[in-house]
Amino acid sequence: MAGPVASGTVFLKACECLTPFGHSAETLAALLRGERALQPRSVLGREGGDLVPLALLPDRALDETAPPSWLAPVRTLLAPVNDAGWGTARRPVFVTSSNFGAGSLYAYRRSGDAAHMEYGALVNCVAWLSKQLGWHENVAIFSHACVSAHLGLLQASRVVQAGLADEALVFSFDFLSPFVSGGFNALKILNADFPAPYQARATGSIGLGDGAGYAVLSRAKGDFTISAQSMYNEMHHFTSNQPDGAGFEACLAPIAAQAAGRRLWIKGHGTGTLDAGRMESGAFAKVFPGAPLVGWKGSLGHTLGSCGMVELAISIAALRDGRTPGTIGSGAPTFTAEVALDSFANDRYDGVICASNAFGGAHAALLLSHA
Amino acid sequence: MLERFIQNIFTDNAGTETQAETRERLKGCFAPGATRRMTQLGMVVGSVLNKLEPAPEDTLVYASTFAESRSLESYLDSFPAASPTLFQTSIHPSGAQQGLIGRQRSLGEVFSHSGVDQMPAQSLLTALLAPAARVLLCGGEERGDWLVNYYSAQDRTFGYALALTREAGFAPLGRLALLPTEEAGLMKQSEWFDLLHQRRALDGPIALGWRLQLNWS
Amino acid sequence: MTDPLITRLKHLIVDTLRLDGVTPADIDENAPLIGSGLALDSIDALELVVKIEKEFSIKIGSSEESRQALASVNSLAAFIRARTAG
Repeated sequence: MAGPVASGTVFLKACECLTPFGHSAETLAALLRGERALQPRSVLGREGGDLVPLALLPDRALDETAPPSWLAPVRTLLAPVNDAGWGTARRPVFVTSSNFGAGSLYAYRRSGDAAHMEYGALVNCVAWLSKQLGWHENVAIFSHACVSAHLGLLQASRVVQAGLADEALVFSFDFLSPFVSGGFNALKILNADFPAPYQARATGSIGLGDGAGYAVLSRAKGDFTISAQSMYNEMHHFTSNQPDGAGFEACLAPIAAQAAGRRLWIKGHGTGTLDAGRMESGAFAKVFPGAPLVGWKGSLGHTLGSCGMVELAISIAALRDGRTPGTIGSGAPTFTAEVALDSFANDRYDGVICASNAFGGAHAALLLSHA
Repeated sequence: MLERFIQNIFTDNAGTETQAETRERLKGCFAPGATRRMTQLGMVVGSVLNKLEPAPEDTLVYASTFAESRSLESYLDSFPAASPTLFQTSIHPSGAQQGLIGRQRSLGEVFSHSGVDQMPAQSLLTALLAPAARVLLCGGEERGDWLVNYYSAQDRTFGYALALTREAGFAPLGRLALLPTEEAGLMKQSEWFDLLHQRRALDGPIALGWRLQLNWS
Repeated sequence: MTDPLITRLKHLIVDTLRLDGVTPADIDENAPLIGSGLALDSIDALELVVKIEKEFSIKIGSSEESRQALASVNSLAAFIRARTAG
């Protein structure tokens, strides 16, 4: 049984992201050109190891610096919205990530340099970041692997809709380090092959990418809305889903009820793993037959805890632009006919389903459309 | 009104128990062999949470300031041959998932909080705003090793789980409510646990803008 | 005659995965390693892969290759022999 769908519309007053291509407009343009940010890099950074597909911000190395190299680009990302009122009682901040300062923790443990620890563990990292960005105390932290951003968006929506905040800032980030790439390499899903989301091939593989993004939620102001949000947690296994794919459908069913009669395209999770990709695309085809499905992790890599926010911002950029990038890195045959390999015009559609999945069989989805 | 009624509550104050001691004490709460791969946090949180019999229509709100600190420490020390098990279990909200996956207990909404000063208040707000009829609010910490020195792990282990409903029902154990306030005050996770474990009442500020009223029947 | 590689692998499985109450002699080299009597799962399999890669200086590339190699103790032994031959 799925959770209740969070209905009630919330407006997106602002939404932006940061990828190796730049912000959402540059990222969209690169995706429409079919470009891939992923490049082969040593999985353990300066300590070497297998070459695996990673997408890092320009001039950023896998091994973390002290202070972290990602602070400056994050400041630039947030500059348009980061005023003095965030974190006050009526303007809460929701920070979401899967790995926070894990790169700094790793750097400390490998080098012995305690300077890294100011940015290392979760609480230290967010405390330091909040201070750097001038946020007050009203900062909530959510962390649930690759659905982290959706949790922040859902709770922020509820807080705003309940009248407990004038507006809310949801900030999501995940920057790569050997901590993360080493872990996924140990899980044997990050290997030499580049990801091909939703492609029916013999082996699956993922890529990983740096990513950050934010959304400012408001009760009444914005060009775009989120009108439904849903979650489901299979609790079947840490790294695999219920074999019948029912978990994917359970998350989508409430959204489908809210979206009845609308023409939609779908931004899926699509990391490039085989079983999950097959089940995910199959669920979309069943619940939203005919709706074109795209995934961009074949280009950007999986941006982990930030993927829900990064890909939301790109979806918004696509709606503004009128064109949706196809599933880069993938080719025929695909798991379902709905998988869109090439870019397409989206002006005939009423909205987008944005979906993400995570370890533990966690699923999250939202319905995005023009206001 | 942001309030819910406490229908059931379980707490476990493992203190400075070692992981092996916790495993020996709690292994009967889980399927045979299940604790082989469980963390101390997973066992403590899982044992109290399982007593509430999570159901698919419940919402789960899980809060841990430092989460899987021992797995994190051990995972970091496993490099360059990174351990997939330790990587997996170090990822929040593993502490809540271990017990639930062991019993194949699916859920709709699961919110996993972290943080220091604001976290108990934020997790309470999440629980009180959730539309589900029953919300399971749980959390805990496990004793760390070298991370304690950097304020990145707790120095004791504990876990708590409450079942909260909108309606008072027949004989609630207590009531909690969040009210707006201008008064300053903070409550961290360990203080919140002690309040619950000792069944103490409170009427005071616990975070920026929020006062907690906690009463026991 | 007992295959020393099979014996070594059984000890490695018990030690790496901390299988309390299980001895190497309890492990049937023909039975599926994952999802059968030992109640091992894919994460256990991956933990074994890391250990085996280190012990035998071989590389297992993908999760699909892991699954094939760890079908049983016998298939694992065959896999290791094939990777270390010559």
